[in-house]
Amino acid sequence: MRKKWIIRSVVPVVLLFVAVGAFVVFEPIQVLPRIRISPGYLLMNQDAETMTSEDVRGDIVLYSFTYSECGEECMDIHNTMIEVQSRLGEIDTGDVDVRFVTISFDPETDTPEVLTEYASRLDADPDVWQFATGDPVHLENVVKAGFEVYYQEHAGGDFSFAPVFILVDGWGVIRGEYRYQTNASDADKIVRHLDVLGEEVRNSHGAASLAYEAAHFFLCYP
Amino acid sequence: MIKNWKRIGIVLGVIILGVLVARFLILPRLQPHVFGGAVIQSNQQAPRTDLISADGPVSIADFEGEVVVVYFGYTFCPDVCPATLNKLADSMALLGDRADEVQIMMVSVDPARDTPELLKEYVTHFHPDFIGVTGDEATVNRVATLFGVVYEVAAGTEATGYTIDHTSTVILVDREGYLKLVLPFEGTAEQIAADIEYFLG
Repeated sequence: MRKKWIIRSVVPVVLLFVAVGAFVVFEPIQVLPRIRISPGYLLMNQDAETMTSEDVRGDIVLYSFTYSECGEECMDIHNTMIEVQSRLGEIDTGDVDVRFVTISFDPETDTPEVLTEYASRLDADPDVWQFATGDPVHLENVVKAGFEVYYQEHAGGDFSFAPVFILVDGWGVIRGEYRYQTNASDADKIVRHLDVLGEEVRNSHGAASLAYEAAHFFLCYP
Repeated sequence: MIKNWKRIGIVLGVIILGVLVARFLILPRLQPHVFGGAVIQSNQQAPRTDLISADGPVSIADFEGEVVVVYFGYTFCPDVCPATLNKLADSMALLGDRADEVQIMMVSVDPARDTPELLKEYVTHFHPDFIGVTGDEATVNRVATLFGVVYEVAAGTEATGYTIDHTSTVILVDREGYLKLVLPFEGTAEQIAADIEYFLG
């Protein structure tokens, strides 16, 4: 008789531990951390139109940083973007669009005409991928202070800079930072993270959203 | 017979204890506070730049120990800013005494027209404890950028002069000076008050 009681009271507790353990081990719900606020910006795109951070609010945006005269050295960065662009079909983000924004920190050279030519050279789909630059002081605030991407101009118009990709969600929160020692980068990782973010977006309503918030909570809440 | 009563008593006791533990210890943990906006999970320090109020220089760092709610707007703002500031005033009322530990701050995105005095008059109209701050164009641009805010001059009517399109989010800075929460314009006063209360602890 007593044994039965013990079994009856112990079993649910064991089940609970197994469930929590399974959650931790198998990660049925994956979330990307909410890292930082993405900076607000007011830039000009390849069509000489104003482009602001508000224009892409609600979209998932992948940012890269470069300057058009970089040439072959930068092709690895662009190849990553090109590969991710070609694999967007693998990702389901519901009714949220995925966009690419490449910010040039060389506004003197990178006029809208230069950026248009640059975009066509990279086979950038104009519906997905925009190129933009802006006022040098504002760029410092946005790129260096906001996105925390280092760049430095040298005499002769060349720049040294860190190859970085940044993933921002529809809230305007940075969800992924990909900082590489070399220009060679990992498109697989970015595609996988876009997928994880898409999954979260598609489950952002009703009871499922609570499970995702709980996952955030377990990961790293304040 | 007595043995049976004893057993029932023990079972009832265990059940009541179980329910109490579940209600007060387990459920609150399983059911995290649902925020009205996006919570920043890493420690992103709020810009500590000095801005100017009618009562002298003001920096986020001055309010360490308090929760600071930052909003970007301007005094000529026709609709969005008054609506948001009213909502923030309502949330302060909902917080009651705890509102003492909260500072609401509006940063002007129109430094050309908003003098510190004009800002003070404007924000205290919504709530006596609100402060309005501004700075030179470069400072405001930098601070706004880092708070994820962008603003752009737009053509207004002849009566109003130019207007300014600006990000309408409300940003919450915790007691330690970290950016913690981005609230959308659509949030209600109740939601904002609940979120502030969460960060008050």
